[in-house]
Amino acid sequence: MIKTGITILMLLYCTLCRGQCDSIRESSVHNFDLMLSYNSSLIYPGMSIGIEFPIINDNAQVIKIKKNVRNFTKKRFISENLNWYHHPYFHDNLYLTTEWVMRRIRYTGFISEFSAGAGYSRTFLGGTAYKVDDKGNISIIRLSGYNYALITAGGGFGYDFSMKTQLPLSAIAKMNLIIMFPYNSTIYFRPVLEFGIRYTPGKAGNRLKRESNTISKYK
Amino acid sequence: MRTLFLFCIIILLSGCQKEKITLSGNASDVFYVENAGVSMRVLVQGNTASNTFILVIHGGPGVSSYFYDTKYISRNLGDKYAMVYWDQRNAGASQGTSNGSELHLSQMVEDLKKVIQVLKFRYGQDMSLFLLGHSFGGLIAADFITQPGYQDMIKGLINVDGSHNYPLNDTLTRQKLLTEGQYQVSQKKNAGAWGPIISYCAAHEGNFTLEESQQLDSYATEAENYIDSIKYVNIVKKVIEYAITDKYPVTAILSNLLYSEDSNFNKELAVSQFSSKLNIVTIPVLVLWGKYDFTCPPALGEDFYNRINSTYKRMVISNISGHYMIVQDKKFFCDEVASFVSKYR
Repeated sequence: MIKTGITILMLLYCTLCRGQCDSIRESSVHNFDLMLSYNSSLIYPGMSIGIEFPIINDNAQVIKIKKNVRNFTKKRFISENLNWYHHPYFHDNLYLTTEWVMRRIRYTGFISEFSAGAGYSRTFLGGTAYKVDDKGNISIIRLSGYNYALITAGGGFGYDFSMKTQLPLSAIAKMNLIIMFPYNSTIYFRPVLEFGIRYTPGKAGNRLKRESNTISKYK
Repeated sequence: MRTLFLFCIIILLSGCQKEKITLSGNASDVFYVENAGVSMRVLVQGNTASNTFILVIHGGPGVSSYFYDTKYISRNLGDKYAMVYWDQRNAGASQGTSNGSELHLSQMVEDLKKVIQVLKFRYGQDMSLFLLGHSFGGLIAADFITQPGYQDMIKGLINVDGSHNYPLNDTLTRQKLLTEGQYQVSQKKNAGAWGPIISYCAAHEGNFTLEESQQLDSYATEAENYIDSIKYVNIVKKVIEYAITDKYPVTAILSNLLYSEDSNFNKELAVSQFSSKLNIVTIPVLVLWGKYDFTCPPALGEDFYNRINSTYKRMVISNISGHYMIVQDKKFFCDEVASFVSKYR
């Protein structure tokens, strides 16, 4: 009986012990992030708002040569964004994207991320649009513009304040490339620079910190 | 979230353009003309109060009118008259979706007619309007003025190194490259660079395919670099200089240019000519040419000049220009245009 009890306790203890693990996968999705950013096309202003839904959240520990250990969290999100930029006299572009985001957060708070996605774009011409019919009658077309399919890819860096403080915020700078089609029977591409703040409601900051501390004990 | 969304919509709506029609000495209005699957940008800049408008038909196909809007022209022509910069379909800031099937010369002539109708609708039916066609723009202008009744819509035409006959253009380009190349070699000037050009021209005597025509065009552009008399202008530097101040949609200009250069439209252009119809032209015409223009040689201008039946016609050659007189001899260009327009407006 005692032997069986000790065996059960040992097995339970082993399931709790994570010292041998390099990767801890959280089974449940716990939060979402809100994002607000300045979404400029280099010199032209714009804005972006979005929401991110975490899909995967892995804590990883990489042991490199000379016992250099790096701890980081790998995250995967699905992100929904509403973006807009204003190019004077050319067009205003309002576009909705769904992206797959791959993000890595180091113990220091440093963030690197890549994303790719697809979406829908609606442009509004940067000037009054006129139409002339066959009889020479001229009319003004209100809210004239075009609908395009859109794909986007980008990468960037940032800092997660919740790793060192209680702030559930992160700052990010990202370069995206958007490609719209069919644009005059070809494609239209545009580099878009994004500077943003990401807010994680709830206590995500503390959770990350706890996880990082747990890992650091096993160093 | 809802607040943010509303905020974004408010900003977007505040950015929407209202109809802006300026009658002043220093106007800058942008509007679009929608036709057959495309919205074409039109910029009206300068002295709209003069009631005299010069509509620039840019080259290409696919080159933008942005490149014609220089500070010098604004100060020396725009101060007296209104300059109208029209981006043709699939060029510059023109926008649309799947519209490549509409890219034809006849469609562009119809586009031009509609741009003129909108201009008159905005600024007055009694305006004095002049067309200024450069390079490929000369082909559109030639097609336009040879349509029955169309020349009555304008006061005059300015043809600047324009091509009204593509097959003849190829023949004359080959001839000029060969003649000038052999002369330059005899003078021991850039003999190494002229060698391949002369060989190519000697080997291709006529009935040019589209590829041969494009190769001749490429050599014609290159040849300007080997003529000492041409005033050198760094066009790439100029474009970069204006890209930010004039808010160029750089990637749109590039996409449109690449598409137009590669499109089947060029096959149609390769056989286009209006020499046989030019005799119906009676409006005042100014023909401006660069002496060292290999792309559209001066002999092409002479053909145009000799065939029109205008009571007033004038042909002037710039001795320091190639194909880009507008920037290579800008004073000559502005003075000639201003003088012509003031006489016939």
